[in-house]
Amino acid sequence: MDIPYTVHARPDTGLYNAKIGIWLFLASEVMLFGGLFSAYIFLRVGADYPWPVHDLDVKLGFINTVVLIASSVTVLMALAMLKLRKFGWYKINMALTVLCAGVFMFNKTLEYKAKFAHYAVRLTDGTMLTGHMPKDKDGNTIHYQVKFDGVTELTLSVPLKHTAVTADPVGYVLPFIEGTAPKFKTESGQEITLDEASFETLSAEAVKKAKAENKGTASIKLVATAPIKLAAKPSEIFAYTDTTITFRDGTTATGKLTDDKMTFEVDGVDARGVAQSEKSLAFDHRYLGEAWQKAFVENRDHHIAKFETDYPTRDKSRSATLQKESLFFKLNSAEPPAAGAPHGDAHGAEAHAPAEGHGEAHAHHPTVVLEKKDFTFFSNFTPKLNTYYAIYFTLTGLHGLHVVAGAGVLLYFLVFDGKRMRQDPEHLANRVEVGGLFWHFVDLVWIFLFPLLYLL
Amino acid sequence: MADNVEAIQKSIKWYFIIGGLLIILSGATVGLSYVELPTHSLNILVGMILATIKASMVALIFMHLSHERSLIYKMLAFTAALAIVLFTLFILAHEDPLVFPGFYAPVEQQ
Amino acid sequence: MSAAATTHDHAHDHSHDDHAHGHHEQSFIWKYLFSSDHKTIGIQYGITGLLFLLFGFFLMLLMRWSIAYPGVPVPALELIRQLPVINGVFDSMFGRWMNADGSLNGELYNMLGAMHGTIMVFFGIVPLGFAAFGNFVMPLQIGTIDMAFPRLNMASYWLFFISCVLMMTSFFVGTGPVQTGWTMYSPLASTMNIGVTSVWDHGHTWWLSAMVFNISASLLGSVNFIATLINLRTKGMTWMKMPFFCWAMFVIGFLLLLAFPPLEVASILQLSDRLFGSSFYLPTGLMEGGKHLDISGGGSPLLYQHLFWFLAHPEVYVLILPAFAILTEVIPCNARRPLWGYKSMVYSVLTLGFLSFLVWAHHMYLTGMGTMMSTYFQITTVLISVPSVVLLTCLMVSLWGGSIRFNTQMLFASAFLPMFGIGGLTGLPLAFSFIDLAMHDTYYVIGHFHYVVAPGTIFALFAGIYHWFPKVTGRFMNDKLGKLHFWPSLIGMNLVFGPMLIQGMAGFHRRWYDGGKYFENTSSMSHWTTTLTHKIGAFFGLNIPDNMLSLNIVMSVGAFILALGQVPFIFNFWYSIKGGKKATSDNPWDATTLDWATPTPPPHGNFLFDPVAHRGPYEYSLPGHNTDFYPQWESEPGKPDLKALAEKAQAHH
Ligand code: HEM
Ligand SMILES: [Cu+2]
Repeated sequence: MDIPYTVHARPDTGLYNAKIGIWLFLASEVMLFGGLFSAYIFLRVGADYPWPVHDLDVKLGFINTVVLIASSVTVLMALAMLKLRKFGWYKINMALTVLCAGVFMFNKTLEYKAKFAHYAVRLTDGTMLTGHMPKDKDGNTIHYQVKFDGVTELTLSVPLKHTAVTADPVGYVLPFIEGTAPKFKTESGQEITLDEASFETLSAEAVKKAKAENKGTASIKLVATAPIKLAAKPSEIFAYTDTTITFRDGTTATGKLTDDKMTFEVDGVDARGVAQSEKSLAFDHRYLGEAWQKAFVENRDHHIAKFETDYPTRDKSRSATLQKESLFFKLNSAEPPAAGAPHGDAHGAEAHAPAEGHGEAHAHHPTVVLEKKDFTFFSNFTPKLNTYYAIYFTLTGLHGLHVVAGAGVLLYFLVFDGKRMRQDPEHLANRVEVGGLFWHFVDLVWIFLFPLLYLL
Repeated sequence: MADNVEAIQKSIKWYFIIGGLLIILSGATVGLSYVELPTHSLNILVGMILATIKASMVALIFMHLSHERSLIYKMLAFTAALAIVLFTLFILAHEDPLVFPGFYAPVEQQ
Repeated sequence: MSAAATTHDHAHDHSHDDHAHGHHEQSFIWKYLFSSDHKTIGIQYGITGLLFLLFGFFLMLLMRWSIAYPGVPVPALELIRQLPVINGVFDSMFGRWMNADGSLNGELYNMLGAMHGTIMVFFGIVPLGFAAFGNFVMPLQIGTIDMAFPRLNMASYWLFFISCVLMMTSFFVGTGPVQTGWTMYSPLASTMNIGVTSVWDHGHTWWLSAMVFNISASLLGSVNFIATLINLRTKGMTWMKMPFFCWAMFVIGFLLLLAFPPLEVASILQLSDRLFGSSFYLPTGLMEGGKHLDISGGGSPLLYQHLFWFLAHPEVYVLILPAFAILTEVIPCNARRPLWGYKSMVYSVLTLGFLSFLVWAHHMYLTGMGTMMSTYFQITTVLISVPSVVLLTCLMVSLWGGSIRFNTQMLFASAFLPMFGIGGLTGLPLAFSFIDLAMHDTYYVIGHFHYVVAPGTIFALFAGIYHWFPKVTGRFMNDKLGKLHFWPSLIGMNLVFGPMLIQGMAGFHRRWYDGGKYFENTSSMSHWTTTLTHKIGAFFGLNIPDNMLSLNIVMSVGAFILALGQVPFIFNFWYSIKGGKKATSDNPWDATTLDWATPTPPPHGNFLFDPVAHRGPYEYSLPGHNTDFYPQWESEPGKPDLKALAEKAQAHH
């Protein structure tokens, strides 16, 4: 049984089935990206921070644009060659298309990777510091951690109902202990090593007891035989004070807070959120200090003066570019530049954050040790950082998925449709045409993505 | 897509011309984005106009919409109308809040 | 053979035969599970949808209990606790959240409410109304052998199935299922239980993943429906000879195709907020439990609502149009009258489809929308009621002067008309923002849309089940049991939803688990309905208070009657598959559309001859015609004789 009009067009509509199918699918894709773009607009007009412009790697983005355009041409060539029955050329063009997709995705990976290693910290006065977490000798990133010392008492709580938060010492306590974990004394005086098995027996006992006492939660008290040092990332901690720390799994520990300062290699000071930019907390004597402040002011005034000569009639406060050039200061050396040193040209600084992903560059930035009370939020350049990066990752991620899917389909035609090519090239041509339509759509989306995210 | 040999060869020529144009226009988009126009909104407008031109070239030539069946035009017109509704109503709804900044007297001055 | 025979395409016929042979060798799995046949897929969707409707209904029974008797242990709980396996399942789904004495609390009520809404809308009505009926009936009605993309069709069902599994899994994970309503508004939805140790312990993550699969399934389905309708209509089946059923499916297809993607976006962005800590929907400075959340802020809760309602208003037409689709078959067939105003119905449904995209923010009057926008949305909302009224009126006028056969499906169909009328008319006031300010989030709204979907759509779906059952199985459902199903359903539905309108106007807020017991001002009011309830209660020696709370008891009685009323249906449904009265004709209801021209049940490939549509789909009681129906496939009265044709075809095989 054959479905009609899979190969030849139906006379009155003039279309074969798959062509209708792909256009319908593309219509829904238009609405999908339409929804995403309207989300973009909504977030952009509602943003309460300066919307990043030219913050991504424009060069890489442009290369990817060219790659996609080239692949659009090759996929068209493939179809044309198939129609001319030049099978060799057809295959070469298909292969080139898939290759382009590979290059595109490779560049995308480079771009993402640099983002993951790059951080930003928001200070309490609104200053944003960008930069990197320090690295140890082996090149491993030293993440920001909250450190406790002299911890002896642990309280694990196990709710009797199955809920989302339940004691998980193997996931939430043991990994944070510095060095090897000591033995623990239970309430009954028994000495145990804390692990999956011992926790299981302990919690079974505690649950039994809590049930007998008609309590909702079973709690297990453990006392360490030797004081413990704990160090955990903030994301694993629910809350802490000077003397107690509560992990995400509900376990609390008592001890003494020893360190919650963040060591940070600064490569940029963004003072656009500060009323008086030169008084930014970043230039406090504990942090970057006066010399950097002077460099900042000099750079700022230089850009303002330049703007005034270039565009004497324009309102300075309304130029986003000026705001960025004058107030988002890039630090390209470990020491502040000597006064009067030449300035980079206007675009040099913003071409891309200099040290993204390049290990040796780290020595070229000043290091500050931020006190907890001075910063409110930090994140690497992931969706968490702000709504711009959130929509950037979502849009490019979904677009990347489309690239992979489209390339996958074309590769399938190339590899597995050899028989069809010889016996029923007309049918294969339909398939390639449909796959090509999808591929062009992916290109079309990129045509809008590239300026919206990289340039404007 | 036409099916006779000459027509195909002719369209191949066009593919390369359009591909080249697209790359040139992309370069222009990048360049223009660094030009400081009186307001940034103008930069956005110019960029979007260029993008729309590029997108139409892709749609018309690469996706063969310049000679497609009326059914597909109808379908796409309907979709485009909805996408435009989506954009404009979102923006309008955003720009027409019941309580806008300054709706209440500024608090600091009291 | 008739004209159909002369157009017989021989090549086609052969491939037909080949397949018929291969068909016998298909194993059970490929035939019934991973089938790409539109009929099997339709049945799969149908059974899944019915099961979810039943499940959603049970959730609702628990909710109603809590509303009517807050703090009172759920009855029959002891019974459930005795049962071996069921107890375990029940306990991890609901039991673990209940109070120690077995009564419901707000937490559990919220879970039940959110899941009831989600399941009824996305897993009950749409799969049953659109996917099941559409898949089974539509290709038959346009005279084709299958959908345009059969394998895509199968993929659609299995994506849907995955989404069902994910959604059900959310009952068993750490936080339990979502508690934030089927609308899943951020920031509440995104910040609820934010402290989980693993996102996969969170019902919200599962809900969102399930929705992403569900939406993808709908997209594949709708592409398939539209492409089939455009390209696979048989000879003579011009657009205006297409049964209205197919037109409705066509419009629903477009609604799903173009409205669902923004919801997919909404889900993906919310998932990103949940998994990656982004702030799409989270405004700056959001606090929870006295602490600033560890988020960047800068997002917009309104963005979610816009994306959500951009889908969810068209979605209500996805819920109601299958009802019209079914009724335009059932009513003309059983009134023996042509459908009145076929053309105006077609144009109305197209208009309705388009307008439904322009009205979404009438759900958002209270979000601080300015007067310009709310004026716009009020106007479009009032406009869209016009095509809806046209549809309903045409159906009503179609009854005029008919000789009506009151079989079960016709009972359901005729009950639909006033019920949907109530639902529709109670909706009109809500179109006006100044009324909506008072009515929003009250039981009035709940009453309104349930009149549309429950005694509306669900009755129509029942009518459809009774109508096509003989085509699907070759046997009739029992008419007596059918009537035993109909009357309690009609009474129960009205007892449940009627009082909601009254309570809502008194100010009862929706999503309250204790039925307003603790809200003196709204619940102490009395009304003639409450007095009546009080008196009837007194007659039976019950002490029912003469205030709004008494209506809760009426509703719970109604829900109970409704539940009992489904027992005959469930029995009838399963029993009749094997034990019902045999259908002796391929066209037992003397209908005119092509779906009745197939053998019963239709084989793989559907038709024994190449069907041609010779005339419009509703040629009943033609003057001067010797029977009171003139099927689309007959070239001249009485030809082709289907039975003879079938025998001939049999011999030919
Ligand atoms: C068949 C009998 C039905 C009954 C007795 C019933 C009853 C209820 C009740 C009591 C509520 C809760 C109101 C509240 O607390 O806010 C509710 C909510 C709801 N129902 Fe039904 N329902 C039925 C069928 C349906 C159907 C067929 C649908 C399909 C669309 C549906 C969709 C909803 C939705 C969307 C909500 C709102 C859930 C939320 O608050 O998020 N119901 N229903
Ligand atoms: Cu609506």
